[in-house]
Amino acid sequence: MTTVPLLVEAKGLTKTFRARQSLFGRRRDILAVRDVDLSVGGQEAVGVVGESGCGKSTLGRLLLHLLAPTAGTVRFDGQDLAALGSDQRRRLRRRMQLIFQDPFGSLDPRRTVGNQIADGMLIHGLATDAQAREAVGDLLEQVGLEPTHATRLPHEFSGGQRQRIAVARALATQPDFIVADEPVSALDVSIQAQVVNLLADLRQRLGLSLLFISHDLHVVRHLCDRVAVMYLGRVVETGPAAALFEAPAHPYTQALLAATPSLARRRDTGRPPLSGDLPSPSDPPSGCSFRTRCPHANSDCAAAVPPLEPWASDGHRVACWRAAEIA
Amino acid sequence: MAWRGTRRLAVPFLVVGGIIAVALAAPVLPLGDPVTIDVSARLTPPSAAHWLGQDEYGRDVLTRIVWGARASLAVSFLAAAIAGVFGIILGLLGGYFRGVVEILTVRSAEAVLCFPPLLLALLVLTLLGPGAGTLIVALSILYAPTYARVAYAETLAARNLDYVVAQEALGARSGRILARTVLPNVAPPLLVQFSLTVASAMVLESGLSFLGLGVVPPEPSWGLMIRGARSTMDQAPWLLLWPCLALTGTIVALNLLCDALRDVLDPRGRNVTANPFRALTGNLLSRTSPPQVSKPELLRVDGLTLEIAAEGGAIRPVRDVSLSVAPGETLAVVGESGSGKTLTGLAVMGLLPPVVEIVSGEVHYTDRTGHTYDLMRLDDAAMRGLRGDEIAMVFQDPSSSLNPVHRVGDQVAEAIRAHRNVSAAEAWRQAVGLLDQVGLPDAARRARAFPHELSGGQQQRAVIAAAIANGPRLLIADEPTTALDVTIQAQILALMAGLKHQSGGMGMIFVTHNLAVVSEIADRVAVMYIGEVVEEGPVDQVFATPRHPYTIALIESVPEGDDDRLSAIPGTVPPLHDLPPGCRFAPRCGFAEAACTTADPPLERIDGKRSTRCRRWRELA
Repeated sequence: MTTVPLLVEAKGLTKTFRARQSLFGRRRDILAVRDVDLSVGGQEAVGVVGESGCGKSTLGRLLLHLLAPTAGTVRFDGQDLAALGSDQRRRLRRRMQLIFQDPFGSLDPRRTVGNQIADGMLIHGLATDAQAREAVGDLLEQVGLEPTHATRLPHEFSGGQRQRIAVARALATQPDFIVADEPVSALDVSIQAQVVNLLADLRQRLGLSLLFISHDLHVVRHLCDRVAVMYLGRVVETGPAAALFEAPAHPYTQALLAATPSLARRRDTGRPPLSGDLPSPSDPPSGCSFRTRCPHANSDCAAAVPPLEPWASDGHRVACWRAAEIA
Repeated sequence: MAWRGTRRLAVPFLVVGGIIAVALAAPVLPLGDPVTIDVSARLTPPSAAHWLGQDEYGRDVLTRIVWGARASLAVSFLAAAIAGVFGIILGLLGGYFRGVVEILTVRSAEAVLCFPPLLLALLVLTLLGPGAGTLIVALSILYAPTYARVAYAETLAARNLDYVVAQEALGARSGRILARTVLPNVAPPLLVQFSLTVASAMVLESGLSFLGLGVVPPEPSWGLMIRGARSTMDQAPWLLLWPCLALTGTIVALNLLCDALRDVLDPRGRNVTANPFRALTGNLLSRTSPPQVSKPELLRVDGLTLEIAAEGGAIRPVRDVSLSVAPGETLAVVGESGSGKTLTGLAVMGLLPPVVEIVSGEVHYTDRTGHTYDLMRLDDAAMRGLRGDEIAMVFQDPSSSLNPVHRVGDQVAEAIRAHRNVSAAEAWRQAVGLLDQVGLPDAARRARAFPHELSGGQQQRAVIAAAIANGPRLLIADEPTTALDVTIQAQILALMAGLKHQSGGMGMIFVTHNLAVVSEIADRVAVMYIGEVVEEGPVDQVFATPRHPYTIALIESVPEGDDDRLSAIPGTVPPLHDLPPGCRFAPRCGFAEAACTTADPPLERIDGKRSTRCRRWRELA
């Protein structure tokens, strides 16, 4: 994995949102993303998994610099995104795109899908109006729709078709890197499979790098080369998808896998579901964030944040003080 | 849609257009001179020569109404338009960029709102001197901040919508995003604001002219006419009537026009229309005495068909659905969106939305005392008695099923007191016990919490506590874990499985789209596709040896295998108003043959426990 030239490289990425609890309450910092190192190689698909509130969507937007990080850097193809002027960064946006979760919210309800797909090309001056119109037809065909659909409005399409349109819009600028934020979560299973296949095909055919954000471990395992598991703003385990899902080292990853319902096995009564809720990201526990729900936690876990350290196989890293004992 | 929109626009557009046209055409119309005085004929009632009569100086009132419209409309439209342009620009910029820009634009504009409007207008007019031009300036300054506020609020809401962020991600310049994406989507309330402003400007113009600060006499305006008519109200009350009618009529027409415009500009037309008469006939189903059921079933749904009256003809989102639940049994109803699984659950609860009409079907329920009756023919009061007592429901989104302004303990206690005569204190004690039973940590203290103080999982526990408060015999759960994270979902599933064992004999209908969840929680499963049950049977058997191509395809599309490609069902679910002939799944089915596309396949029994709606099921084995 280390030999792949890096396309996106984030170091020490941290994002803190300021929020006020009530009108006169004190301000609280919400630690959405904390000290995350993450890289995506050329043509690599990296999955980010975790439950709601773990900071995975924020991480995706930080990598695209749609949010400015509180600390840390993001390099895209060697260039520090924060150091670029807004005009240079705007031009770089041609090469990085975003696909959203909600196919009903991500398209402008008042403009035809053709116009929306053509936007990217026109904004970046990649095509004239006539060329763009032709390219829109091609793009619609690429994602399995008809060129004649270009003149329709978003509400005339089903959820799965809209997500295809969103994919076509992202592809219009011929990007190198796409952040897909839960792109199939809002879709029915049969449609979900269509869109996952589409993303896999396009990735192969166009040599895209992909950051695939999802809470569905099955889909991530299916689509991604590498996976990062997030909990309360931090990456707690990362590694090649196969190794990580076969032999998860972090107790949270283990719990997540155990909790994921599966057709293949009915839940064995052996492992009780993880107790408790995600702690508040404005007041995370000291030391290891997971210790309040971890069945293996002891007093050491509260003392310091465990570093993300190399684990069994190549590229597999885990942030757990007791990983060796648990294994 | 286009013609429908045009027709809606036509009437108000013609009226407003007519008013404007008449005002514009005033110089060429065969009218007299609006300022020619004929004192001898002052206050003459309407006559053939002067249709609306003559005023206190003997001037023709009709002429003055038409000429006055020019001043009144010009002032109000121009003022509303100028205020709109400036206000919208300020609001868009302030809402989109926030920070310093917001202070410079919206906040500073709001300072204007601190002055009483009339006082402010008087101030400007005093400084610049009276006249129609000054009036426009004054009214523009007065109304711009209101636009700014509306535009600002709408922009704030819109700027974080996915499709706006998408434009940013595409690398569009802020100006382009504001003009192409934000503005069209914040326009509808601004259109309404425009109509309100024109109306309000017209009234204020009249008022200021009435005070002698607007249009200068003898030039006519509706405000001046009202002012003039006031002094002769005793002798000629009709003089007051005409300008007032003109004013009111124009404002009403304008409001209608802007409303229609707003609807037409919304590309998402309304498809489903409720037909009150159909709903009425639905209740007139024959109230025959229900046949007695001998089997020890808790619930048996027989041939349930639901209909919604839509524009292109009635659609049937649920068709000939039969299900049964035995005491202590969990039936999963699984299907994709639009399969009718939720409506089936709501029909059993008697909670169908008014647009849905029950065409046929019986829902036999056996209550605690062993009586069996058809829920479809139960009156509202009896159904209310069952709901929350014998039959309870848990919905998908816990945050919207709980009332945000009441403590969760009170909401559980309320569920108890709705059906049992206990004191408030006793109900509260029981509520705390229930919250403890569903695993809410520190229940005695958390019962005092408001819903927003609980996490999603805890909220769903509270909802379940309220549902089981009266020891229901049937629990209908509609996607109860879909909004939750997997670790929390596992907790809630374990809780629901546990409840079934504890309460001994509680049957459950578990509506979900997640096959894996079905395999964890259910005893039997009914697979639904476009309103029909296509396969039904014990979970283990159905998942191990599915006997309907749709079930097979659904199972295969779950991304659990190691195959390189997921197996997806080709095509999309056909819309209810355009269903294929014969088997509804045939166009997407790999096994379909000619016969499948001609006749509806019946629900066939496979052995004692299973059934399928596929004519070729024997070949699937």
